[in-house]
Parts: sequence; C-alpha cells; structure tokens
Amino acid sequence: MKQLFTNRKPWLFLLVLLFLAYPFIVGQSVYLISIFVMVCVYAITAMALDLLIGFGGQVSIGHAGFLSVGGYTVAILTTKLGLPFLLVLPLSGVITGIIGLLIGLPAVRLSGNFLAVVSLGFGLSIPQIALNWDSLTGGYSGLPLARPEWLSNDSQFIYVIILMTVVIIWILHNIVKSRLGRAFVAIRESEVAAQATGINVPLYKTLMFVISAFFTGIAGGLYGYWIGFVSPNDFSVFTSFLLLGMIVIGGLASIPGAIIGAIIFTVLPELTKSLIGLTNIIIGIAIVGIILFRPNGLISLLEMFRIKKPSKKVMDEQEVYLSDLEQGGAARDANV
Amino acid sequence: MQIIASGLIFGCIYALAALGLVLIFKTTEVANFAHGEMAMITTFISYVFLSKYGFPYLAALGLALLFALVFGIVVYVLVMKRVQSAPHLNQVVLTLGLFMIFNGLAGLKWGYQPTSFPEAFHGDPFKLGSIFISTNEIFTVGLTLVLMLLFFLLFRFTKAGLGMRAASQDIMASELMGIKVSGVFMGAWAIGTALGGIAGMMTAPVTFLSPNMMGEVLIIAFAGAVLGGFNSLPGAVIGGLIVGVFENLVSYYVAPELKIVFTFLLIVVVLYIRPQGIFGGAKIVKKV
Amino acid sequence: MLTFKDVTVKFAGVTAVKDLSFEVPQGNIYSIIGPNGAGKTTVFNCISRFYTPAAGTIDFNGKNILKLKPHQVIHEGIARSFQNVELFAKMTVLDNLLVGLHPTLKKNIFSISLNLPSVKKTEKESIKKAYEVMDLLSITDLANEKVRNLPFGYQKMVDIGRAIISSPKLILLDEPVAGMNPVETKKISELILRLKKEMNYTVLVIEHDMSLVMEVSDFVTVMNFGQKIAEGTPQEIQKNPVVIEAYLGEVEENAQIV
Repeated sequence: MKQLFTNRKPWLFLLVLLFLAYPFIVGQSVYLISIFVMVCVYAITAMALDLLIGFGGQVSIGHAGFLSVGGYTVAILTTKLGLPFLLVLPLSGVITGIIGLLIGLPAVRLSGNFLAVVSLGFGLSIPQIALNWDSLTGGYSGLPLARPEWLSNDSQFIYVIILMTVVIIWILHNIVKSRLGRAFVAIRESEVAAQATGINVPLYKTLMFVISAFFTGIAGGLYGYWIGFVSPNDFSVFTSFLLLGMIVIGGLASIPGAIIGAIIFTVLPELTKSLIGLTNIIIGIAIVGIILFRPNGLISLLEMFRIKKPSKKVMDEQEVYLSDLEQGGAARDANV
Repeated sequence: MQIIASGLIFGCIYALAALGLVLIFKTTEVANFAHGEMAMITTFISYVFLSKYGFPYLAALGLALLFALVFGIVVYVLVMKRVQSAPHLNQVVLTLGLFMIFNGLAGLKWGYQPTSFPEAFHGDPFKLGSIFISTNEIFTVGLTLVLMLLFFLLFRFTKAGLGMRAASQDIMASELMGIKVSGVFMGAWAIGTALGGIAGMMTAPVTFLSPNMMGEVLIIAFAGAVLGGFNSLPGAVIGGLIVGVFENLVSYYVAPELKIVFTFLLIVVVLYIRPQGIFGGAKIVKKV
Repeated sequence: MLTFKDVTVKFAGVTAVKDLSFEVPQGNIYSIIGPNGAGKTTVFNCISRFYTPAAGTIDFNGKNILKLKPHQVIHEGIARSFQNVELFAKMTVLDNLLVGLHPTLKKNIFSISLNLPSVKKTEKESIKKAYEVMDLLSITDLANEKVRNLPFGYQKMVDIGRAIISSPKLILLDEPVAGMNPVETKKISELILRLKKEMNYTVLVIEHDMSLVMEVSDFVTVMNFGQKIAEGTPQEIQKNPVVIEAYLGEVEENAQIV
C-alpha cells in the first residue's frame, strides 16, 4: 500500500503539471480549451461516481441528474438571488449533496438492480422537472447566467476549473485511501463483515451518495459557469451511460482510471463527430470491447506493467507466498 | 374508466417487455438494458417484411419473431456468454454498450425519421360498455394474454421450463444434474428477445417507428419489472399493468410530461416499503 | 461476562435454538460444540445481532445487547470471526486489518478530506498496530497481498486478526480451524491459548475439531437440536454418555463420509 502510494506521487505530480500547462500548450484555441473543460467536468463527475460505484459498490445510472442539479443551482442562485460566485460554487455542491441525501436515504435499503432502476428514474426525472418547472428553471428555454467580472475572461476562468479539478482529485484521493474509503470498500465486499467490524452500513451508504453528489454538483456548477447557460438538455440519460462507461473503461475503484475514462469518452465523440451516426456505435464498440477483453479497465494495463519489474524484496516475498499457497491450497482442497 | 382501460392496454405492452426482461434476469442474472433496442431492431425487421416485401401482417410478425429468437441467441453466444461470471456492473455496462451499438446501427440503416407503422387490425373504436376500444387494442390485449398463458404453461410444465427454473437457482448444481445451462440461457435470451419484439410491434403504431421509440417503453417496463420484484414472472406482468394504469392516470390528472417522474416516485415509495418489490421473495439473509 | 438466559430463536416456525442459557466467565476460553445444525452459529449471530431471539435475554457485562444494532456490538467490545471467512476479498491483508480498527478511529470528514496531520498520525499508528497483529499471526509477509489470493488457512488467520485488532473484551471464533490441516490447527490452538494467557482476552469458540476444543477450553457447552445437552470441563464432557451418543456418534458418521 505504502509502496504503491509513493509510486503514484510522481504520476499525480505529472498530471497536475500537465493540467496547469495545457492552456499554454494549446494557446488560444477555443475548441481545444472547451474540450479540456469538458474533460475536467467529466473527470470530477467520473471520480465522484467511482467513489459510489467502484469503491462503495452502489450502482447509479442517473448521475447526470446530479450534474444538472449543480448547473441549475448556480444559475438560479446567481440569476434569481444575485449571490456571489465564491458562495454559489460551494452551494452548488451543498444543494446537490442534499439532493443526494434524499436519493441516498431510500437507496440504502435497495441493492443491485433495484438501485440501478431507481437511480435511472432519478436521472430521467431531473430534465423533466427542469422542463416543467418554468418559474424556477426557465423551462424549455433554460437559464442564462453570468460569471463575475474578475472571471469573465475564459482564459482566467479555466484556471478556476483547473484548480478545482486538482483540489477535488486530491480530496477524493485522501478520502478513498482513508478509513472512510476502506469502510466504503468493506461495504462493497461484504456488508455482513462490515457491520461486524462496526461500520454503520446505512449511514455510510448515505454518506457515499452525499459525497458523490456534492462533487458532481460542483462539476455541474463549473459547467454552468463555463457555458454561461443551463438547459434541460445539457445532461441526458445518455450522459449517465457515458459516465458509467468512463469508470468501467478506465478501471473501477481507481481515481486515475476514472480520469483516463473521462478523457477518452470526452475526446472520442469529438474525434468521431465528422462521421455522422457513427459516434454511438464506436463508443458502444469501445465499451463492449473493453469489457470483453480488459474487464478490469484500461488502468489494468498500467498495473501489468508495474508487476513486470518488481523489486528484489518483493520477488522474494512472492516466492515465499507461492510456496505457502501450494501447501495451504492442498490442505484446503483435502478438506473441501 | 376509459383512462384505466387505456392504461391497461398500454400496460400490456409494458408487461410483455417486462416479462422478457425478467425472464432473462431470472435465468441469467443479467439486467438487459439493451432489451428495448433489440425490440426496436426486431420491429424494424418486421417493417421491412411488411413494406418492402409486402408480407401480410401475421406473416411479418412471425418472421420477425423468428429473427428475434436468432437475434437473442446471437447476442448471448457472441457477447453475454463471455461475461456470465463477471461482476454485475460489467454486465450492466456491457448491455449499455450494446444499447448504443444497436441504436447507432438502426439510425445508420433506417434513419432517425419516425415512420408510421401499421396496426394489426384497422377499424374505428367501438363502444364496449362505457369504454371505447379498437379492434387493434383488443388484439394487443388478447395476444398478451395468450402469450402469457402459453409462457406460464411452458415454464411450469415442460422440461425446458424446469431447466430454466433450475438454472436460475444454481448454475453449478444444474449442470451437475445434466441440464445444459448454456442451452437454457440461450433459450431465455431467445424467448426474452421475442417477447420484447412483440412489445415493440405493439408500440410502433402508437409512437411511430424510429430508433429511439423503445427508450421510454423500456424504462417504464423496467419500472414495472422492479415493482413486481424483478425475479417474479407474474410480478413482471402485474407490475407492467400497474405502471401502465398509473402512468395514464398521471397523464390525465397531473401532466403528461411528468409521467416518468411520478412513475419513479411510485417505485421509490413502493421499494421503500418493500425493498424486494411487491412479488419478490422474502429477503434472503446471507448465511455466515 | 456474557450471559445467555432462556434464549429461543425461531426461523419461520422452525426453532433453531431453544431455551439456551449459559454464562461465559471473564478470562476463560469457553467452547460450544455440537453436531452440524445444532444451532451454534445461530448463537453467534444473535450476539452479533444479525438475528433477534424470539425470547430470552443476552447480557454482556450487565448490559442488554439485544438493544444494539449489528454495527454497535463491537463498540461494547465483542468482535468475531466467521465460519466461512467473511473477508473483504479484494482488499489487502493490511487493509482488512485496518478496517478492523474502524471503531477506534475518528471519522471527521473534513480532516480526512484535507489529510490533516491528526489523520496522518492516527493512520500511521493504525498501520503500526496492524503490523503488530500480523507479527502475532506471523503473516507479515502477506501484508500487501489481496486476501482472495490467499489460501484458506491464511484467510482464517486474517479473519481472526481482524477480530482481535480492535482489542475487544470478548472474541467470538466461529470454527477457527475448519478446513485447516493439522499443522495449521496446532498454530491456531497455540494462538488461542496465547490470547488468553498473554493478552487476557475472553474467547468464545464454536468448533468441530475435538482435539482443539479439549486442548484449549476451560469450559464446554454441548448443543444438539438447538438445546444444551451438557456442560462442564473438557474432561467431564469427554466422559458424559449423552455427549458421546449425540456428538461423537455423529463424528463417526462424518468420518465415514470423508
């Protein structure tokens, strides 16, 4: 664990550096910048979703709903109440987190496919509600919102987005490697044993939903501020599917995996845009192919590479372990 | 009364789609999110037979169902068989991937422009007691009832049905008892896809034929299946009927656009009270 | 320390445990033995609060534990292992043990999110503690192995380790040597004795393996068909004709099958 962690540090550092340098590399290209922003928004969402699904084992096929809630929160608070940016952005997380709590409370009683369908219903309902609650959401025509003066320039605002992305990566990294993250994984692996070790399973499941919704809400808020406009069609069920695809393709229960997935699934549709009608097919084939041939996601390629050259010490331990395995395994077979 | 009757008629379609979903889930433990898209493709195939080759309706229906059976088997053998023991999430995402492929392919081949799809029987609605009903609607209900009956008989009294029930209980034990599990699974996919296909052909006259026609139907069918407990065949039928009626009531009394929102509120409430669905078996406490 | 009084457990009309009373004294190794289906694991599941008895009381140090939820039991100082090891299969041995420390750690989400020094410090202490437990079980080499890759015997060790790491007052061991070879069994029985002698734990054991029970137990209760049929010291139990008929007879049957 410790070794892996220290191994990861340079990777994270490299990632942060790349993030910070990106605007300089692509210069003034609006197109590349906006793809980059979408990568950030989806990366935050995918990580938040991964916390819930990959680490906690609780399925959600409606996460785009939380993105919409975040977007609408910033739009409504800015336009209707005139609250300042520095207050609105955290509030987009808090309010979405509260919605997450409302969803999480019934969700803790459900498992597997029941939860999947309920979350799917949530994801479908949000755009419908946005569409029909005219007085609050502006209905079909959506809501415009303006960034504050000091962030009105895209090249300034992008650094807010980068900063938020990096901070959220760091926070989520802290959470998943902490006692909380262990408790989430424990619930995924065995609820019975988790309870026996003192983990309050319903509480932690709700907590997962709240944390996940909180960060997804912030991603939605960033998106709203970036585009300067929110509408019911921003994030559909299709987005939810895509998010699910991201974390599975990247590799479940892995923060770098979620980021890789987000990059691929944001860039891939852009690349295939010119091939009208093929986008869905190509993404679909990518999903099917990776699940069939790399069921642990692309991140497993990286781990394979890592195991290829273990240190001397690890090698020795490996041998000890293997010989143990043979003896113990035989003993087990004999008794089973 | 009229509202409930129309709800029940559309509920029959949900019930058929839900039945296919539950059949596949009950035997193979896969929640097939591509179910609707497979039904949509089957419906397109039947349309090709109808319009391009001028087959009569029932012949086209038969041929399309034949196609659906093969289609189900192909999907199972080529794709789903390989993830039989993979985590459920992988299976779910895989079917979502298939969803996108099928949707994209249909769009590529037939375009996204909705086309009208013929009903099985033409004719003006007539009055039956206090409600109006058309011949085609009677056909829908009748076909659903016949299929369900046939299906329950098959499941309960034939060897194939026994195999399906056994395989859904315990794959390994069934195999040891000489049941060809992959054959049973193949059968479940074939029949499940065919049931979905029929639902598709019943839906198309109402929603028009397009690659996206089954999206909402599938989701409501899922809701119905979940309501019924997701592993109970009668539960799927009754769940489908309930959501059909409920949805129609919401459309009439609240707002048609909010029917999905309310349907899912219903699901959440029901599942909150009974987490295993109305007809789901008692929650199994894991033995430790 | 732990007192069962007239406990009856029913599942859908079937009585799994009937009018069971016994008391585990502090500092003892107490064993419950009996043929398969005698209701032994049900006893544990009542203590862990996975099941609720239809009648009777279970007190721990004078406190009624039937009022607790499953996750609160460990806060009273009762930890358990499982018959078929319920480990967190995809986690490493170290992480499994660290989860065992969960009840002892503060869970302030803000300090965790920001990885504040207080969190870092307690994490470090936890890891140290986990290594101590691994040393005790001599599984330190396997710290970073995923549990599901381990042979069953080692998984059992990790399961026991996870139970003892939070320094409970009472440890419940559900068939700790089931599926183990004689060498491993010897290791476990030494470990159980050390838990009592060196660390003053009270241990409640369910076991089939008579050699282990006779070697480590201070006191034995024999169950059959959900009822207590005998109790006493290991020596007394060995001589008790009722036990020999009910229990040892079954062992012979078992032996023929194997």
